[in-house]
Amino acid sequence: MKPHAEVDEVWPRDGRIRLVGRIHGRAADSADGWRLLLVLRGTDHRLRYDARVKGDRFESELPIADLAGRSDLADRDAEAGGEIEEWDIHLTDGEAELRVGRQLDDIRGKKKIMVFPEQRVSGLSVRPYYTVKDNLSLECRPESLAGEAI
Amino acid sequence: MNVRNQAPRLTAHEAPKRPKVRYLLLHAYGRGGTIRTVMNQANSLVRAGWDVELVSALRRRKDIQFPLDPRVTVSTVVDLREGAYTPPPGVAGRWHDRRRARLLERPGKHIPAGEFGYRYFNRYVEEQLIAYLSTLRDGVLVTTRPALNFLAAQHATGGVVRVAQEHMNHGTHKRDVQQRIRETYPSFDAVAVLTEPDRQEYEQLLPGTRVVRIPNAVHSLDQVASDHHAKIAVAAGRLFPQKGFDMLIEAWSKLVETYPDWQLRIYGSGEKKAELRALIEEHHLYNHVFLMGHTDRLDDELAKASFYVLSSRFEGLPMVMIEAMSHALPVVSFDCPTGPSDVLTHGVDGLLVPPEDPDALAQAMAKLMADESLRSEMGVAAVLTAASYGPDAVHPRWEALFTELHEQRLGTAGAAKGLRV
Repeated sequence: MKPHAEVDEVWPRDGRIRLVGRIHGRAADSADGWRLLLVLRGTDHRLRYDARVKGDRFESELPIADLAGRSDLADRDAEAGGEIEEWDIHLTDGEAELRVGRQLDDIRGKKKIMVFPEQRVSGLSVRPYYTVKDNLSLECRPESLAGEAI
Repeated sequence: MNVRNQAPRLTAHEAPKRPKVRYLLLHAYGRGGTIRTVMNQANSLVRAGWDVELVSALRRRKDIQFPLDPRVTVSTVVDLREGAYTPPPGVAGRWHDRRRARLLERPGKHIPAGEFGYRYFNRYVEEQLIAYLSTLRDGVLVTTRPALNFLAAQHATGGVVRVAQEHMNHGTHKRDVQQRIRETYPSFDAVAVLTEPDRQEYEQLLPGTRVVRIPNAVHSLDQVASDHHAKIAVAAGRLFPQKGFDMLIEAWSKLVETYPDWQLRIYGSGEKKAELRALIEEHHLYNHVFLMGHTDRLDDELAKASFYVLSSRFEGLPMVMIEAMSHALPVVSFDCPTGPSDVLTHGVDGLLVPPEDPDALAQAMAKLMADESLRSEMGVAAVLTAASYGPDAVHPRWEALFTELHEQRLGTAGAAKGLRV
């Protein structure tokens, strides 16, 4: 199993998404300098948030308003008529980028089993979801498209 | 019967040809508990050398969904699959075709509207079933739900031995169904129910009719036992109001803060999935309660858990609960009609709590969550309880019943024809 950040809990509520889990396969030599890293799929656009690390435990959170607040969003929306964006979530100490996911339990097909509620902000519907590889990503869709199946 | 003095006929009498057994199911291609149970019965009978046929009133799928011995023959009365029906040629054919289309649209007139399967019985289906039932002359016909029982009572009158199975408890039936039960079930050779309270109730309702209690059997007792260590509770059933998963989710919300490292896994699919998902989100249980969907490997999933929960509003005899017990899982259950109290001994192999009471369900689950050795103790007792629902304990009772009814019929038939037997 590759080093990764194993999710225990995902809390999408109150306008934030909070993640709790364990670092797996890499010693957290220092509790300092860990960040949650969001990468907009297919781009080099990145968002970073502080992560609290203690032993192998990590915890971090982000306000979903950040995902709606990108400066280029309005322009791009006007061009494309609104498209779904996907952010892949990592945990990083500045050197390694550990993918955040849930790999260590026995449940196969988490995409359809561990399903999280959506939250809405500024015309955007944001929902954490497990990919087919059981990694955690965020899906942002304009509310005009909200409610369609992933 | 002086036949016993005549050597060649003695052999024939002592080993009478076993009657063919036909099970009539509403939909043999479906996935419900009744279907699974009937297939277990059919498998056991055919292995014991009986000639067994499953007759599916309707067919909406290509494949049978449960393991079925290939020696069991399967036939269909009305095939509703796309393209299964070819209109007959010619003018008469077109007339038949139009008539069929008309009858398919008309609601049934033989089945009371309160039968849960009422919507499947249009006039065409009724007509075809009546025509089929009228052809039966010999063997044993087992009908498996009230609607089919009503039709068999009135129309399978050509000499076949008839057994009505009830897979739900009597109190669950709507009034119009209960009325038809009183009117029609006395014509059966036997009415078979699943639990002792139900046997008593039917015996009172149907004086003079033979009512037998034969529980359903689990498919196997040779199961992997849970080690009671994983912090996983399991429930299973169609996602449907009857199963009470809404109350189970509510109960879980009451103990999630005290036992945050426990998971509830609910297996099954069904029309209430979206509502249950919404309830999970409302209580913020999306990290703890999982709608697992349908699985073909429920045995494996049961073995991973540490206890089983039954939150039903009503049952006939909850078979998955007994299967769970065969994996050494203790059970927390509502004391709903009927089944749980027939199977479980409170405090020994499980905990019975007042029906439809999520607080009581939560307390009982908490008790098991808090105590691994209690789970192990009760789990051992659960295995012993499940043993009396094994195929070897149950299926010989069907063989004995069918044999006895068949011999009775031969006796009376012979007498009626004035034969010396």
